[in-house]
Amino acid sequence: MRPLSLRFPRKRPHPPPVSPSSDDHDLMAAVAAERVEALRLLHDRHAPWLRARLLRRCADPDLVDDAIQDTFVAIWRGARRYSPQGDDAAAWIWTIAVRRLASALRRPGGRWIAAAALADTALAETGARLASAEDSVLLGVEHGDLGGALARLSPELRAVIQATVLDGLTVREASRLLGIPEGTVKTRLMRAKARLREELA
Amino acid sequence: MTPTVTVRGLRKRYGHTAVLDGLDIAFGAGVTGLLGPNGAGKTTLLRCLATTLAPDAGELRVLGLDPATASGRTGVRRRLGYLPQDPGFYPHFTVFETLDYVAILKEMTDRRERHREVTRVLAEVGLADRARTKVRKLSGGMRQRLALAQALLDEPDLLVLDEPTVGLDPEQRLRLRALVSRLGESRTVLLSTHQTEDVAALCERVVVMDGGRILFDGTPAGLAAVAAGRVSLGDHRPGPGALFWRTADGRYRTIGDTPADAVPAEPTVEDGYLLLVGRTQEAA
Amino acid sequence: MTTGDWHIPPGLLERYLDGSLDPVGVMSVEAHLVRCARCRTAVPADGGWLATSWERIAAEVAAPAPPLTERLLHGAGVPGHLARLLAATPALSRAWAAAVAVALGFAVAAAHLAGHGFLAFLTLAPVLPTAGIALAYGRRIDPAHETYAATPMAGAPLLLVRSTAVLLTALALTALAVPLLPAATMPSVAWAWLLPALTTTSGCLALATRVPLPLAAVALGGGWVAVVTGVGAVTGDRTLPFRPGAQVLYGCAVALLTLVLYVRRHRLDPAEPR
Repeated sequence: MRPLSLRFPRKRPHPPPVSPSSDDHDLMAAVAAERVEALRLLHDRHAPWLRARLLRRCADPDLVDDAIQDTFVAIWRGARRYSPQGDDAAAWIWTIAVRRLASALRRPGGRWIAAAALADTALAETGARLASAEDSVLLGVEHGDLGGALARLSPELRAVIQATVLDGLTVREASRLLGIPEGTVKTRLMRAKARLREELA
Repeated sequence: MTPTVTVRGLRKRYGHTAVLDGLDIAFGAGVTGLLGPNGAGKTTLLRCLATTLAPDAGELRVLGLDPATASGRTGVRRRLGYLPQDPGFYPHFTVFETLDYVAILKEMTDRRERHREVTRVLAEVGLADRARTKVRKLSGGMRQRLALAQALLDEPDLLVLDEPTVGLDPEQRLRLRALVSRLGESRTVLLSTHQTEDVAALCERVVVMDGGRILFDGTPAGLAAVAAGRVSLGDHRPGPGALFWRTADGRYRTIGDTPADAVPAEPTVEDGYLLLVGRTQEAA
Repeated sequence: MTTGDWHIPPGLLERYLDGSLDPVGVMSVEAHLVRCARCRTAVPADGGWLATSWERIAAEVAAPAPPLTERLLHGAGVPGHLARLLAATPALSRAWAAAVAVALGFAVAAAHLAGHGFLAFLTLAPVLPTAGIALAYGRRIDPAHETYAATPMAGAPLLLVRSTAVLLTALALTALAVPLLPAATMPSVAWAWLLPALTTTSGCLALATRVPLPLAAVALGGGWVAVVTGVGAVTGDRTLPFRPGAQVLYGCAVALLTLVLYVRRHRLDPAEPR
């Protein structure tokens, strides 16, 4: 006797062979077809920068490594639900990775690097989402006024902006991480956005 | 060197048949091969050492512990890798699940660490690309390698391998020999086999058993030397009662008394073994 | 999306990686990185770290996703490895689980058809776990028994884990059948099988410290049916074995048998000298 399966058998077109020159979307299609070598290519392509960026969120390299492991396992298990957007999967993978790190940090002993040290990194993207001319504003090196506006925010406001806007966490996740009630996260987020709009107006 | 395993006066009988009849032996680090015909008592001895069978009488010391006590058995099992003679599996488990289950029974409670260990042993036996295959779809050789992989989980100090080369093709047997001899560098490996080549190739010590007793205990070279002067090559078929076979070049190789027209030949481990076992079976 | 022609200059990336970059530079680098494949490639990869990281992922990917029962058990606070062992057990005796469902179906039907038909249900329920335990452990039943017998969990720990899994499955299936009983069956009577089921299970395991497990299961399962029908025939009151007085007796028996099982648990080890 076999256990009942609620999944219907899936017939998928056989994905093309993958190579280091395949783009992320082709690799994801191959991962959805349970091709381990495609996952490895994705891992080798994205793990180094993910690690660098996650290490700026959490000083414990073991927790970062665990988060990266969880991320690619989640990619493997969820590849069928992936829908290609944009040029590559980097933003999608980052969202998964930072969520994984956030949930690891929720466990005892986890250490989210305080906003004071890192909130500044949030500024560029925060501004990017608030502004309409996203791409030009993103390059904060050339557009210092946004950076300045964000830098003038209080550390508490920047922490909220960092967790929600830059790292893409939900209000609930941010509230757990920062140890403040969800309502406070929401009000701080609104205040931060309003202040940025004023400064950039 | 202090022995890892000491056996004194070991007895085990099934009904009226004594399978082990007061066995005394000790094993230390390195690879020891047990050689003997079916029913020689090899499996019974190995099962007693692997703590899956209680002997009727005798004293055992395994890794300094006494398997007759519950705490002693648990202590042995924590440091033991055991490949049974007829290892069974759950056909609906995948290769990975099979090893994961044994790893849990070996008290590896941390999931990440356990999965890493499972991956390691899969690579050791060359089954890494079969992790997600159901056991029922494996060939006999792959099952045998899976059985070996579970024995290697958690880096045991004592490996008890009951006929590890059964079902393996020649290339896999070579790989197994390489693996076992590497394991034997730092720990105690006891293996039983029917294959004299395995013994000659990888055991530094060989024990020949028959009828629950030890007929020979020494090096493979020593076992070959048992047949010194008792092996010959001749052009004519020897008379009845002699143990002989026809070789590839059409000559007759005889073990035992040299026929009149034959010339002495270099004895092998197999010659020594056949001579020993043949003698007891004549006497029986 | 374009990023224009701007790319992170090498010196800037270095300072980002070693943490010495000023805040505005850091935010620019991160904002740019996620959109520019070329600059992501420029982040240096530590070959040894990358290989180790991949090995760990490969191990997880090879592992199947835990089944629902295992996740539920884990969610309920059961440690992951124990959840694994528990969830794998009823699958070892799927035929038993199916037979339990069928038998319960018949018992429920009997309860509807005959006046005292619910007695069949109450008599049957305590037999189910003992049959399941006999089918989930042992040299003749379990093809991997010899392998497992040489692990530290051999004997009592493994048998008790599997018995727990079987007992919980049997109790859950029986509990699911309870609402299907005729409305006339009083609520107290509908649950009168629970303590007897715990009694037969603990009795079966306690007896298995002396005789082989299948024999113990037959003795307890058969013994229970014989006692219930015997008492009914002798006293003329077939509900007597399920009355509150009898239930107190079962409760005491469970406590006593569990104690016996605990004291004699080493005898469940296949290599315990006799």
